[in-house]
Amino acid sequence: MIQRLYEFVFLFKEYLVVGVLLAVSVTLLALNDDPQIRTIRTVAVVSVGTLQDAVGIIPNYFDLRRENHVLRELNLTLADEVNRLREARLENLRLRQLLGLKERGEFGFVAANVIGKNLQLLRNTVTLDAGERNGVRADMPIVTENGLAGKIVATSSRFAVAQILYNKDIRVSAKIERSRVDGIIRWEGGSTLALQDVAKTLDIQAGDVVITSEYSSFFPPGIRVGVITSARGAEGSLFQSVEVRPAVDFSRLEEVFVITSIPDSDRIALEHRPRE
Amino acid sequence: MRQTFIDIALTLMVVLLQTTIAQYLAVAGFSPDIALIWIVYLSIRRGQITGTVAGFLVGLVLDLLSGNDGMLGLAALSKTVGGFTAGYFFNENKTVQTLGSYRFILIILSVSLVHNLIYFIIFLQGSGAHWWQAILLYGIPAALYTAAVGLIPTFVFARRALL
Repeated sequence: MIQRLYEFVFLFKEYLVVGVLLAVSVTLLALNDDPQIRTIRTVAVVSVGTLQDAVGIIPNYFDLRRENHVLRELNLTLADEVNRLREARLENLRLRQLLGLKERGEFGFVAANVIGKNLQLLRNTVTLDAGERNGVRADMPIVTENGLAGKIVATSSRFAVAQILYNKDIRVSAKIERSRVDGIIRWEGGSTLALQDVAKTLDIQAGDVVITSEYSSFFPPGIRVGVITSARGAEGSLFQSVEVRPAVDFSRLEEVFVITSIPDSDRIALEHRPRE
Repeated sequence: MRQTFIDIALTLMVVLLQTTIAQYLAVAGFSPDIALIWIVYLSIRRGQITGTVAGFLVGLVLDLLSGNDGMLGLAALSKTVGGFTAGYFFNENKTVQTLGSYRFILIILSVSLVHNLIYFIIFLQGSGAHWWQAILLYGIPAALYTAAVGLIPTFVFARRALL
């Protein structure tokens, strides 16, 4: 009997191995919210993040000269812009005081290097070398000097994983800077984003700048998301099909800033409270 | 035994390459699946069981690093099937010939298509999106690019076969 069992196992060992491994994979898919799984994820991110941190210097080294030149130019531009913004802010404060408007909250920024990109087709994420000990938490937005890049989804003490805008799971409440038309930014694949839920009658033109709106629970308002490249009314639909070119070039994403804004839990709870 | 340790070390290196260097090889948003090429290589070189186990482990590590909630096990599952499928092309007496010829590219392409098919069918469950559209728009181009990158090891093995 044992001999026959042994022969059976030997004969079908490949199928038994693949069967067991597929069963483990399916079980893992079913156990995703388990706290132990989250702990294992954190350990994996820390371990590989340490290695990525070491390897990450290689491409940066070759790019250093070009990067230095670009940064000097950027520094000059930004210094000029800071002066102008300082004046604008003072003016804004005076006007707000006159109108009695509430001051917008100010956020801190944590600089982080992109030490890994996990480009798994529709689930694109980046690993950052800043984590909980730098004040980074899940759901915090990440930006570059050009605009919104994504959102933190997992953290360890030294590293964080962020979904970039090229991720099927991310949604951003946004609006057109010029006409204040609202919509939802989603990625449906390709190199552009889609601004959805925009009625055909609303004023949208190619070249309009898209920014984050006040309706978002996670992203502070006013962050540049991208520029509209085309807007056309889809046949048989009440809504427009709007394509947005992201402000951030994700193929060159090397440094980002995490905006240390904690989503307002009161607001989220209220918005998700079942209607009575 | 020594060979096993070397394979494990190289597998870890490939995972590291996939999460660091692969981004620099991206064309039109598609990155090559270096990890899958390595899994196919292991299946052809060491056999179906090794390829299957390597596929599972590599996929699991990539899953753990993805940070996305709700999909742990997806890459493990699709890469396990990838390793298993590639294992059907294992022939102990023709390993170098297979790796150094167009057959290796065709194997990578077919395994990559199977891998992407499984990935998208499961990933898009409940999303309302059509998996066949995802396959057309991403699965096939990504598989073609992965197969194209597979030309590099093929040339290396072709040279080795000639020497």
